[in-house]
Amino acid sequence: MNGRHSLELALPGATIGAVAGAMAGGLTLFAGQPAGMAALSALALSAPLALFGGLYGVLLGHGVFRPGTFGPVGLYWMAAFPLSRLVQETLFGVGTADGVLTFLAYQAMVSLGFAIGFVWMHERLMPHWLIRRAPDNPVAKELLGHYLRYARMTQARKGARK
Amino acid sequence: MDTSNTPPATATPPVEDGRVWKAGRLEPMPIRKLPDAPPSVHLLGPTVFLVALGVGMGESYMWPRLVLLFGPEIRWLFLIGVTLQAVVMLEMARYAMATGESIFSGAARVFKPLMWFFFIVAIAVYIWPGHLSAGAAAFEEITGIPWVVTAIAGLILVGVIFTLAKVIYNLLENVLSLLIGALVLGTAVIAAMVGSWADVVTTISGMFAIGYLPPEAMSAAWFPVIVGACAFAGPSGMQQMWYTLHLRDSGAGMGAHIPKVRGLRHAGEEEEMPNRGFMFDTEDPAEMAKWKGWRRWVTFDALLLFWGVTMLVTISFTVIAQSAARINPGVRDALMADDREAALSAMSAAVSSAGSSVLGVVFLGFIALIGLNATLGLFDSFSRGQADMTFNFVPGAKKIGMSKLYAIFLWGVIIFGILILLFGPADGPSAILDTLAFLSTFAMGAYCVTLLLVNNRMLPKPIRPKWWSNAIIGFGAVFYLGMLFYSMIAFGVVVN
Repeated sequence: MNGRHSLELALPGATIGAVAGAMAGGLTLFAGQPAGMAALSALALSAPLALFGGLYGVLLGHGVFRPGTFGPVGLYWMAAFPLSRLVQETLFGVGTADGVLTFLAYQAMVSLGFAIGFVWMHERLMPHWLIRRAPDNPVAKELLGHYLRYARMTQARKGARK
Repeated sequence: MDTSNTPPATATPPVEDGRVWKAGRLEPMPIRKLPDAPPSVHLLGPTVFLVALGVGMGESYMWPRLVLLFGPEIRWLFLIGVTLQAVVMLEMARYAMATGESIFSGAARVFKPLMWFFFIVAIAVYIWPGHLSAGAAAFEEITGIPWVVTAIAGLILVGVIFTLAKVIYNLLENVLSLLIGALVLGTAVIAAMVGSWADVVTTISGMFAIGYLPPEAMSAAWFPVIVGACAFAGPSGMQQMWYTLHLRDSGAGMGAHIPKVRGLRHAGEEEEMPNRGFMFDTEDPAEMAKWKGWRRWVTFDALLLFWGVTMLVTISFTVIAQSAARINPGVRDALMADDREAALSAMSAAVSSAGSSVLGVVFLGFIALIGLNATLGLFDSFSRGQADMTFNFVPGAKKIGMSKLYAIFLWGVIIFGILILLFGPADGPSAILDTLAFLSTFAMGAYCVTLLLVNNRMLPKPIRPKWWSNAIIGFGAVFYLGMLFYSMIAFGVVVN
């Protein structure tokens, strides 16, 4: 039961990863490629990004990450994003012409931008999802508590106004 | 601390004790408690506002265009511009958080005409609807609809959105912030596909080619554009000044004691606004400890969020521009031949080259969205800033009410924008954007001088800026105004 509760927290992150992957990954190989091939390429980026995005949500629920902080998420995607791109390029891309290490180094740099976009979106979607799931899911309820505490703190500051 | 027991002229809301901080000739600031700083660094601070406005045309269009023309080495000017802006942001926040006043009120404390000067400059700068024009040009590339038509429709749309804001503002804010997220994510993924490590190396090493200015850049056609691009490195024009309104309204530091200014979106719920801010006891070690907490909080925002995000987005777009130059070497000659719009289609082609033309369209769609998004943010801030000054400093303006003043300025800037589009001297969307950018430089040089005066004369000694911070802001004034005047004297032009 606990497994399912944790997995539910994966949904927002997995969705963001999947959409980001599909958005660019699918389009990139569209030209001159059969539709099936393009779809596979999109899938090859979407699937790992969705997986890592979902895993982030689960780890957030277990307290490994703190909501809204950037540093650890940046490091997380510095590993996860290059790996996802490597999977895509190896399976359905043009390959890593400049060598794997250079490829990974470049992807790791870009991944920081991805991480900012990811955490930005996640912070906006996750609380809505938690509000929906909190009544039936104790893990979601606890995480929602974190968000609420932060919101109350902000409110308290604003409430000090006369 | 230079306090006296003079009671404040108006006692709403009631003060905790009789002490006040006298700053300039305006009403003294009552001494109040500084609220606790937020305990954790959180991604969603008020800087989001600056990032949302700042990561726009400069990063996605103006600088990549210069890279296409003059190579990545030109970006050393960008590095200086963004770093300067990070320090400006810290210093703007210093006054706003210490007093709960906007920098405009600070300027009025130094010398009232100084504030009115910015009131006029804001109008002179922002009647040029540059962002929306560039966005409309991108939209023309996609749909073929003439940019003037889209730009005018966009301006009216912005007005309608804010006029209906009471109903839809929250929805709009959510949609816009999701769009910004999608933009950052999309840019990262596209850059991951089209770029290579070598592009990043040249982009980053280009940032340290200090002093590089090719002979073509030192021309009447391009130097003013470079001046404008320097202003568009990070938040441009008056955005940093409006950021102080935003800090005040989000309750940062002493802003917590100020009732929130209700814009048009909350018409009918206006609260009584005090004419002045507050000060905390800078001789109390406990208060100073809290102050340090606030400074840490805003420094995190300035360095990671603002500097970091701006750099990352812009590096990504420069990488895209560099692949554009590789794919279509003719673009440089087209730009040199004064086809200002060539950059947009070339960058779109670079993105398309990574895959399909669909992706090129996605890129142009991004630029169009950035144009609309920036205009929404800018016009909202413009109207709030102007309404705030009018409300507080024009006798009798309080009777009109904040929301009506807001509407007057909003529709005023929209009508002037439409007139500029139809009859203005600037020819073409890029020329309008370049004019806006060039004029922004003037506002930015002027606010650096103002910032030095306000922070060093209107704040108690213990919380005044350090010498090095003053030196950087002073350099900023010389940098912006120096480039502007050099352009005017050497080339005798504003914008070609």
